[in-house]
Amino acid sequence: MQRKPISYRRQRRRSEFLWGWAFLLPTVVGLIILNIYPIFYTIYLSFHKSGDFGRNNIFVGFQNYAKALKDMQILKAMRNSLLYMLMEVPISVALSLVLAALMNQKIRFRTVYRTIIFLPMVAAPAAVAMVWRWLFNTEFGLINHILGKKISWISDPKISLVSIAIIGIWSILGYNMILFLAALQEVPNDYYEAAELDGAGKAVQFFRITLPLISPMIYFVLVTRVIAALQVFDTIYMMMDRTNPALQDTQSLVFLFYRYSFVENNRGYGSTIVVLLLLITLIFTVLQNYGQKKWVIYD
Amino acid sequence: MSGHKMNRKKGTIGKLATSHIFLILVSITMLVPFLWMLFTAFKSNTEATSMNPFYILPREWRPDAFVTVLGNYDFGRLYLNTILLIIFRVLCAVLTATMAAYALGRLNFFGKNLAFGLVLLQMMVPSQIFVIPQYVMVSKMGMTNTLFGLVFPGLVTAFGTFLLRQAYMSLPRDLEEAAKLDGCNIGQTFFYIMAPLTKSSMVALGIFTALFAYKDLMWPMIVAPAKEWSTLAPALAKMQGQFTTKYPELMAASLLACVPMIVIYLIFQKQFIQGIATTGGKL
Amino acid sequence: MKKLISLSLIAAMGLSLAACGGNSGNNETKKTSEAAGSSVASEAGSEASEKKGGEAGSGTTLAVGIWDENQRAGLQEIMDDFTAESGIKAEIQVVDWANYWTQLAAGASGGELPDVFWMHSNESQRYMDNGMLMDLTDRIEKSDKIDLSKYPEDIVKLYQLEGKQYAIPKDIDTIAVWYNKAMFDAAGVEYPKPDWTWDDFYEIAVKLTDKEKETYGLVIAPDNNQAGYYNVIYDYGGYVISDDKKTSGMDDPKTIEAMKFVDKLVKDTMPPLQLITENKEDGLLLNGKVAMAPQGSWMLPAYKGNDFAVENFDIQVLPNYNGKRVSIYNGISWTAAANTTKPEEAWQLIEYMGTKEAQQKQAELGVTMSAYENTSDAFVNSFDKFNLNAYLDMMNDMVIRPYSRDTVTWEGKFIEHMTSVWGGTEEMEEACKAIAAEMNDTLAAEN
Repeated sequence: MQRKPISYRRQRRRSEFLWGWAFLLPTVVGLIILNIYPIFYTIYLSFHKSGDFGRNNIFVGFQNYAKALKDMQILKAMRNSLLYMLMEVPISVALSLVLAALMNQKIRFRTVYRTIIFLPMVAAPAAVAMVWRWLFNTEFGLINHILGKKISWISDPKISLVSIAIIGIWSILGYNMILFLAALQEVPNDYYEAAELDGAGKAVQFFRITLPLISPMIYFVLVTRVIAALQVFDTIYMMMDRTNPALQDTQSLVFLFYRYSFVENNRGYGSTIVVLLLLITLIFTVLQNYGQKKWVIYD
Repeated sequence: MSGHKMNRKKGTIGKLATSHIFLILVSITMLVPFLWMLFTAFKSNTEATSMNPFYILPREWRPDAFVTVLGNYDFGRLYLNTILLIIFRVLCAVLTATMAAYALGRLNFFGKNLAFGLVLLQMMVPSQIFVIPQYVMVSKMGMTNTLFGLVFPGLVTAFGTFLLRQAYMSLPRDLEEAAKLDGCNIGQTFFYIMAPLTKSSMVALGIFTALFAYKDLMWPMIVAPAKEWSTLAPALAKMQGQFTTKYPELMAASLLACVPMIVIYLIFQKQFIQGIATTGGKL
Repeated sequence: MKKLISLSLIAAMGLSLAACGGNSGNNETKKTSEAAGSSVASEAGSEASEKKGGEAGSGTTLAVGIWDENQRAGLQEIMDDFTAESGIKAEIQVVDWANYWTQLAAGASGGELPDVFWMHSNESQRYMDNGMLMDLTDRIEKSDKIDLSKYPEDIVKLYQLEGKQYAIPKDIDTIAVWYNKAMFDAAGVEYPKPDWTWDDFYEIAVKLTDKEKETYGLVIAPDNNQAGYYNVIYDYGGYVISDDKKTSGMDDPKTIEAMKFVDKLVKDTMPPLQLITENKEDGLLLNGKVAMAPQGSWMLPAYKGNDFAVENFDIQVLPNYNGKRVSIYNGISWTAAANTTKPEEAWQLIEYMGTKEAQQKQAELGVTMSAYENTSDAFVNSFDKFNLNAYLDMMNDMVIRPYSRDTVTWEGKFIEHMTSVWGGTEEMEEACKAIAAEMNDTLAAEN
């Protein structure tokens, strides 16, 4: 009587092991080849100086890092990436929270609003960048026509990064809103009813009930958006010519990574830049993970 | 008492009106770039860059810019390549992720946590770190400018595995017990019982993967520079270099690149929105 | 489960099939390139034809890479003649300058280059040195159509390394000033004369500048070295790089004097940098925002196709400095990938593009000035609304566009500094000295 379940359990365990690894195999092999090995290879490359067309790597130790940390361009690009993230993420998260809250009411034309606000998500970023570049044109752009001003949106070093962030916020608003809306719809109505009985106003309800209940989703959006925002590339690549006076104050780390790795074929230095980006990303992820314990509420 | 209720109702109406105003303003902001794309595409270059007089609508809807762009670029080819890229990326992602996710979400075996660690690691690392080695691999295989090269980084997906794992974890335990009693082995349980229940998450992953493939700029730009294998996004980047300040041409090209996806989105709106909502995970 | 496995098998097969389809004959790539390298041209040719299972060339299509959209139509017309003669089709792909080199480098390291493509002196050394280009030496020797003495020697030499020739010159370009007659008329300024000096030029540009109305006398973009400031440097007796390519001339007092003059032009007569980057030189000229710009002869197709330009624009030779009037010149060339799978067909196209007939037609169509001797008249006569003679006159005193092995590296830094000077965040003299230092570093590393 006692032996049977044990052998059954063992058999079951073996079977789970075999099936489990059979199912996992493609993904694990793929991840190792496509992602894990590349991480080490990139780190390896970052200690090398690359020859023409990516041939003949010469080991140079920490030379690339020493150079990068003194390279004004890279330091500025770090600052730009961080500033971009600090503008894009909080503003887009706050705005989309408000939008989601508004859309969570019994309000007419909800679907229409939702459809329109989500629209930028399905447009090619290259096209988005081109149309904004055109809207932002100092001389002939629609925005300056409407404002009656001559603002150099994308070539004034003081505001070009803001302009890039505007595009980023415009593009991501719908996505964040949909995520928040989904979370809001999960919040049971009786919480609000109880709060109403206690005489709590809408604003109090929002901060006391809504925010805590959807805090896991806010955390999820924050973490993923911070990682994504630190990787901004497409818009900057499409917007910035090399003679743009705002280039230095706008280009991101990934933009420099692309330039060094694939335009100037200096893969060693390009790898160094991306390893620096990795470190920054990790710092932010760890910080957020530490911070979430203080404000994210899981039920 | 009733007066209080009246007030509250008025308050609600006032609030709704404010909500509408706000939502309308945001909607306009979302639409203006698309409209401007449309209007500019039908203008002449002189008209587009004339400040005086300034016309919002084209004085005459001329297709010239479309003719130039279509004469210069084989959009049929670009659409086809983009669709092929999307189909293969989606197939690979859904196939590999659904299997791995089941293993991670429902089975218990040695090495599972390590494998899940790999998934998490991939998700935390900026994706650019993979680009050079992946490119070197593709080029060593002699697979630049091929469909395989384009699909390559998407053969497996950590994000998809993570997403579907969540879906499997939310399924009730007794389903498997019932299957076991019916004599299903693990493979059969997965294929006949569990996988069909995650259909909505698979659709979500499919939509997400499709959008990502459609928008991807850096990888196709590097791995498939030849015209035959160009997809829409890098082709647009090239057109900007080529037409520089000829805005009607640029806008016509942007419109041609965006409209198919927008139409698909408008048709399958519900699936899109639900799918995207699912990518937030059931947290 | 079976279903799933078969499904994934089908998917996997589909993938590998598709991959194969896109990359036919990859194994042969190396073989043929070696054959081409070992100069047995006919063997390579026969191998290529064997693979196609037909007569050499006929029916195949060559991928041709160029970077100038303006020249595409004209070149395609010439290549259509080639197709009619040989049965080999040629398909031109245009990729703008910046992306062209990115893609070419990616293609070079990945073993995938267009069959035939343009080469430029900025990059030629690196490509030749790394064995990326097909060695044409023996083919040229055997050819009865190509005689390298018919092309400008300096341009031929740009594509030579250790006695081997890797490309055949396509064109030659010189620089002249384009100006908007209507804006001269409106400001009551006389049209420029051939003997104008840089000082005259400055004064005219100042007169044509009205910062209130936001119209400007002149535009030279910070990255416009060849058509822009390089010319001034050599007129003033300065230089950019020494003849032995070992030292920079950017800290030479005469160079600095010239660049300070350029700085004066930037500050007093040009639109703000924002306008230049957003609208480019040609955009500003064509919108009537700017009255003058020095432009290379390759710009002709861009302007002759524009009604506004045809009505208002004309061309004059560059100004001189104490009688010295240099034009920087350059010539791009046709070359083939060392590992093309169609070496024989590629050579046939390059050979054809180098013949007198094709070069003559290129000039007649007004695509650009041809490299082949005595074809300039055809270019001058290709369009009678502009004084194209100016470009021909600029050939009297020419300096080849400064280059070294790693031109791109120092040129990139050069342009970065110029961008800050244009933007007003760096002094010209300091910028020149900084460029000289960085250039010397790069040049030292080259050897």
